[in-house]
Amino acid sequence: MGVRSQTLRSKALGGLALLAGAIIVFSAPALHAQPAAATGSLLDQLVGPETEPDIDMAALRQQAAQRIKSRADLAPLKRPPIAPELLKLPQYDFDVVFDPDSALVRPQSYGTIGRIADVLSDPKLRPYVYLVVAHTDANGKRDANLALSQKRADSIRDVLVGSFKIAAKRLQAIGLGEEQLQDSAHPASAVNLGAQIVAIGTVPQAPATDAPPAPKAPAAAAKKKTKH
Amino acid sequence: MIPIRVFLLILLIAAPSLASAQQAMNYEDASALLGASCGKDIDDNCRGVNLDPPRLKECFIRNGDSISAKCRDDYPRAFNAIQGRITARITLAKLCNWELNHLCGTVRQDPVKGLQCLLAATRSVTPNCNKAIIAAGFR
Repeated sequence: MGVRSQTLRSKALGGLALLAGAIIVFSAPALHAQPAAATGSLLDQLVGPETEPDIDMAALRQQAAQRIKSRADLAPLKRPPIAPELLKLPQYDFDVVFDPDSALVRPQSYGTIGRIADVLSDPKLRPYVYLVVAHTDANGKRDANLALSQKRADSIRDVLVGSFKIAAKRLQAIGLGEEQLQDSAHPASAVNLGAQIVAIGTVPQAPATDAPPAPKAPAAAAKKKTKH
Repeated sequence: MIPIRVFLLILLIAAPSLASAQQAMNYEDASALLGASCGKDIDDNCRGVNLDPPRLKECFIRNGDSISAKCRDDYPRAFNAIQGRITARITLAKLCNWELNHLCGTVRQDPVKGLQCLLAATRSVTPNCNKAIIAAGFR
């Protein structure tokens, strides 16, 4: 009787060990799983605007350059944002670390850029066009800051398009230098180095490069065959 | 007891392959892995290269001896995850052609609406299409 109960107990323990092993193996990939709730709220946050704003990028760049050239709003503390209309649109603020005075993304920010790529390539957000906005703090020369922020916005856009194949027509980029301070009470603060992705409209109806392409039409396939 | 143990054993053997089929690194995880494992190697050997997988890969290969073991171990995984997801997204329409034709009728030609329709038709898709959707990171 004692031997039998010992055998039963060891069988039960063996079964439990296997069950525990299976649970561990099955749950392991969850360690790498996307944080669904966080991404979900980010997706909701970036759904395009109901009414499309009329934003002229060239005019906005010109306006920023002109404001600097004319030495208007010299004191950063009292400087109004150059593009207040952008503040009302759906957007996500993120921090990207660049090399000093450069548009090279530092390796510690690769994950952040990857997160933006994940979000922008989600089917829910594919109908929309986005603007990458880069800023600087108020240290250094104002015109140099404007130029640097444009390079940085272009750099983020280039990575999203080139490395993650987000459709180029869905992404625009603008640098606002120190003309739209994130924390105007502290113009020199590093908080002002942040960037945003702003939903600015919907994609014009045409096939997108980051969407699944339609399979070849039978006629095209037949034509290809006859070439051989 | 024996059938349960046999079942659990099968489950244990099959689990890794099932798990890897279901989970692929997303862009964020792959990029973060690259940055964490290869950040110093990029600074030391690939100065001036942005987050650009083909150029970084070329740099790592060119500087093979100087690249850390951790980076050498991890960068292929990171690059493969990024490229795998891009490829899966490009080939999705081909692998789910039947579903797009039969379930998505008029919207199939629209890349955005066609994809949204495909993802909404979860229960009707074939196993191959389902696998393609998972590989693309859409489920």
